[in-house]
Amino acid sequence: MSRADPLLPNALIVARREYVDRVRSRMFHASTIVLAALSVLVAFAPIFTKAVDRGTTTHLAVFSSDAGLADTTTANLGTFLNSQRTPGQAPLYALGRVPSAEAAQSAIDLGLADGALLVERSAGGRIDFKFYTGESIAADRQQLISVGTFLVAVLDYTTANRAGLTQPFLFPSLDMVAAAGPSAGGAPISGSEFAGRRILGIVFVVLIFIILVIYGMWVAAGVVAEKTSRVMELIISAASPRQLVIGKVLGIGGAGVTQYVCVLIPALLALGVEEQVSTLLFGPGGSIAPSLVALAPPLLLAYGAFFVLGFCLYALIYAAAGSLVSRAEDLQVMALPLSLIAIAGYLFAVVALSGGTTGFIRIASYVPFWSPFVMLTRLTVGRVEPWELVLCFALLVVTIAITVVIAARVYAAGVLLYGQRPGLQAIVEAVRHPA
Amino acid sequence: MSLVLDGLSKRFGRVLALDGLSFEAPRGQIFGFLGANGAGKTTAMRIILGVLRADSGTISWNGVVHDGLPRRTWGYLPEERGLYPRMTILDQLVYFAGLYGVPRDQAAREGRAWLARFRVPDFADRRADELSKGNQQKVQFLAAVLHDPDVLLMDEPFTGLDPVNVALLREAFLELRDRGKTIIFSTHQMDAVEAMCESVAITDRGRVVVSGSIRDIKRAAGRRMVKLSVEGDHRLEWLSDIPGVRMIRRAIDRSEIEVDPGIDPDVILAAAIGHGARVTHFEIADPSLEQIFIDHVGRPPDEDLTLASADAEDPAA
Repeated sequence: MSRADPLLPNALIVARREYVDRVRSRMFHASTIVLAALSVLVAFAPIFTKAVDRGTTTHLAVFSSDAGLADTTTANLGTFLNSQRTPGQAPLYALGRVPSAEAAQSAIDLGLADGALLVERSAGGRIDFKFYTGESIAADRQQLISVGTFLVAVLDYTTANRAGLTQPFLFPSLDMVAAAGPSAGGAPISGSEFAGRRILGIVFVVLIFIILVIYGMWVAAGVVAEKTSRVMELIISAASPRQLVIGKVLGIGGAGVTQYVCVLIPALLALGVEEQVSTLLFGPGGSIAPSLVALAPPLLLAYGAFFVLGFCLYALIYAAAGSLVSRAEDLQVMALPLSLIAIAGYLFAVVALSGGTTGFIRIASYVPFWSPFVMLTRLTVGRVEPWELVLCFALLVVTIAITVVIAARVYAAGVLLYGQRPGLQAIVEAVRHPA
Repeated sequence: MSLVLDGLSKRFGRVLALDGLSFEAPRGQIFGFLGANGAGKTTAMRIILGVLRADSGTISWNGVVHDGLPRRTWGYLPEERGLYPRMTILDQLVYFAGLYGVPRDQAAREGRAWLARFRVPDFADRRADELSKGNQQKVQFLAAVLHDPDVLLMDEPFTGLDPVNVALLREAFLELRDRGKTIIFSTHQMDAVEAMCESVAITDRGRVVVSGSIRDIKRAAGRRMVKLSVEGDHRLEWLSDIPGVRMIRRAIDRSEIEVDPGIDPDVILAAAIGHGARVTHFEIADPSLEQIFIDHVGRPPDEDLTLASADAEDPAA
């Protein structure tokens, strides 16, 4: 079509209709309520985990080159940590000495211990603790062990003074290191921080996958519904394919954002009170590390950007795919290749959640179809260089601009086809020579 | 001052849908765009609307090439009927008018007025899936005219309508024509064309085989018809004795007889009286549009809607 129709206001008129149509539907209301309830459950997951965790025993390997220090640490820390144990209950913490630092690390790797504590006395008399945290050790228990190390130092000082030594109390040092070696761009981070980031990363990746695939399918289904009801014949003469495609993406994207906000607000409220709820349920000292700590504003901003750009890219392609089929039953088949691409991105993001950045994951995080998953995950659990972020967003924006043109041309050719699916050659021809 | 299609061609793969299609529809008239199924009528309309692009040829409206015209120049009632099933009728009318640039309040006001004129004011707040097919079709017509287009393209507008709604739609067409609108509609219903159109174009296999005013086309045919009713005898077997005369359509109430050039139609009346028949109607007329269509296309416009003869050959045999 050579008539140069301006994008506005028709794209907004189409967007408004699509938005209202979605948010007024019973399906939208029902799915929003279910998702909001699920999000609250997920937000309270650390509390559920703690409730289950209360009955488990945390195994801690202890090593010191000073045998005496190893013995007192094991005894005093064990007594302190298990002081809240009720009679008849299994010990909450089991501490055992190991012959070397390597043995301590190995015990974590083999799953024999949840963490390891290396204790050494420096030349000045200060006690230095190095606390290796494994993946299975809960954040609140990490905190309690940290407190316990201070107590060990106090008891050590008291014992030394009783023997007649007069020296000032030296605060012990504590270095917490994740045993699995998590890092933010090479800089080691604590196990609790890494755990928090990883939970956030999982939530982000799952949410963005849902948004891109599910809401993208809404767009495709909307196009198919217009073909099925034959209203397409009226629409296509009233507005240009570009206006229709962009309007549909904006409208359905807006409905997606609305649902997203409706789901996110109760989840954030739940996260905001989870510490208080935990204290209420488990008493003083039973609080958990708040999950929102890892939710930094720049990360939220990046998430918003990937949300918008990722949705635009996928929704445009889904709209074009929807225009090529006439029946809802055929849509799944047509959309399958795109869904597979999204699933691949999701899987790469899961790999990236381990915190490591292999060459392949790094490249995958620049690919526009995968960057909303993989780069977002890298940002959440690791460190990303600024130039990488600029490159990633630039590629995404350029790809979207190209996709708008191609999708509108495929859409224009596809929406008038009924009962026949155009071959690849016909699609290429439609893109090269638009109607 | 007219819509001019000049040498339009369009090919879909191996199918040549339009093969140099040309005609001129005068402004302010109702124009019949006739052709059998697959003749290229819908493709031509889509090209006029800008939904499809012609491989070659031009379209102009009042001397302006159609690419340069605003979209609201055209109103379109497609052959495939459809509305948003869950949307109320007034919302749909406002939506479509909005896409053509009509403000929401104006569209709502005029939408209600049109619904009242079609004697269905209560449809405004009803959903499309609550209406019958025929009533949905009326709503679609309103969606096509609400933005007050200069040219209305109506693809089989009467198909599926009951006689009452056909009459309503015809009345609306005439009113729009009287307001200076140009209406181009395709149909297989030749009686509707004869009743409403001043000019027609008959197409076959993507080409116009004849076009112009209906009166001129009929006169150019060089033949005349006799419409005859005889009480108690609809077989009229005595006609075969008259040279240059052929039965075109035999009917109980009124038969149509074709008279060759140079033959005086009065010979039919004389023969009827000679055979003792009691003639209740005798009319000398121009050939019907349907007959002209058959003459040019070789088959009736609605051939696909009728059974082939019992002894027709099986093409697969």
